[in-house]
Amino acid sequence: MEEQNNSGSVNSGVPPAPSSPPAPPALPAARGTALWLKAVAVLYALSLVAAFVVINKADAARKTRPKDMALSKIAGLKHSKKDAVAVIPLYGVITQGSSSRSWDRGSQQIAKRIKTLSGKKEVKAIVLDINSPGGSVGAVQEIYSAVLRAKAETKKPFVARFGDVSASGGYYVASACDVIVAQPGTITGSIGVIFSVSNFEGLMKKVGMRSEVVKSGKFKDMGSMSREMTPDERKLLQAMIDDSYDQFVTAVAQGRKMDVEKVKLLADGRIYTGRQGKEAGLVDKLGDLQDALDEAGELAKIGKNPRVLSDSDPFENLLSLMDTKLSLFGASSLAEAAGAAPSLEYRWYGR
Amino acid sequence: MNPLKTIETLVDDPAALLAAERPAGLGRTGLLGYAAGTLGFFLFLRFFSAVPPGAISFLVVLGFVLAFNLFFAGLIHLFLDLTGARGSSARLFLAFGCSDLLLALLVPLAFFAKLGYINGFLALCLCFLAVIYARVRLVRRLYSVSANKALLAVWLPYAGLSAVLFTAFAYSIAWLVWLVL
Repeated sequence: MEEQNNSGSVNSGVPPAPSSPPAPPALPAARGTALWLKAVAVLYALSLVAAFVVINKADAARKTRPKDMALSKIAGLKHSKKDAVAVIPLYGVITQGSSSRSWDRGSQQIAKRIKTLSGKKEVKAIVLDINSPGGSVGAVQEIYSAVLRAKAETKKPFVARFGDVSASGGYYVASACDVIVAQPGTITGSIGVIFSVSNFEGLMKKVGMRSEVVKSGKFKDMGSMSREMTPDERKLLQAMIDDSYDQFVTAVAQGRKMDVEKVKLLADGRIYTGRQGKEAGLVDKLGDLQDALDEAGELAKIGKNPRVLSDSDPFENLLSLMDTKLSLFGASSLAEAAGAAPSLEYRWYGR
Repeated sequence: MNPLKTIETLVDDPAALLAAERPAGLGRTGLLGYAAGTLGFFLFLRFFSAVPPGAISFLVVLGFVLAFNLFFAGLIHLFLDLTGARGSSARLFLAFGCSDLLLALLVPLAFFAKLGYINGFLALCLCFLAVIYARVRLVRRLYSVSANKALLAVWLPYAGLSAVLFTAFAYSIAWLVWLVL
């Protein structure tokens, strides 16, 4: 615009007043701007071309980079790089989840995880990392049957690894696995069933409280906390316990390929250390998690020190943490524990 | 109008932005500026393998750049309008596109950074500072405000965004501590 104004005044033919200062030379400045803008555009185009060439060459080199030819990898050439061993943790008391939330750690979710992971192509073996004193009969059997089904459907080996404690129901689940690896000091065994019920009759009398029950049959309030157990009820419960015990013994005998009578000798509810368990034939190997992983790798024929596929999902862990925190700082767990009905359990109460 | 001519006009006569009619070719040049600037930024990131290759990846970055600039131009216009300055938000958005052309400098700078002559992060910061400086100059012209007010207007969305991010970060740390304890 300045340029037009200046040229306009020149072309008009009117001579400028002698006293007025000369107009600034705008035209050369504008030409200068155009010139360096063009130079910058050309340089930009050149640098773009160069950048494309460099990036393409770098990408191509990355794609054709020779693979690491370490000797340890040559042995496993026939196996896919993705082959892995999945680790499923089984910690704490085994119970049926109180909800169907995916982050809940109930027996349904663990059974589902076993099914999902065993169905994955890259998972060649599964390690059950057990640190549990057992739990309710139904929950333990749900996980046990999930392991048996996965083994039958996929033919993939299962290895149980015992941590601090793997007693009763924890051992029930492990008996379905092909190999059991335990620490020498692991507490295991406690093969048996328990049904416990508290009797608050005396306390209720003391505080002046009485429970009224109307029932359809004489056994309908069996296990009630407000009265003494009758001999008939005791007999009935003992029959149930004997049946569950028999199921436990059969499972151990089948899983460990032992004689039922021999298992019964070991299954009087006593606990064993890992080393005692090995001597008794309840444990195959002594070792830690790495030994269990190596064993799983060997069984799956992918070699020792296999790639580990962890079962934990960070998002689910966070949701689980939130869920625990948001349930009134554990008040709901306390309420659940207080309101728990007596049930048959494959559980060791030593801790 | 040739985009180079439009940029030449903006550089030599920034007052043209204030004319009643929008400078010829500003729309095309603004959008071209966004595309060229984003391409420079994208190639810079590709040099450091910070973004995946491919046209889709570039288009995603371009989409983000356009969305951010639209939002920022709107915020700046709102602030200036509320404080009594008059101007056009559409022109501001397009002028920002022209200022984004400076991001094209990132391509040669990426070479230098890869060769070790300059720190990559420093190069990025320098380029963004140059863009901010150009934006301040443009806002000053577009809304006829003082340099300080233009600087405040341009920094305001960045400061607001930083404050929101910092608050979210502080809150998430406090929340995590609460979760863990």
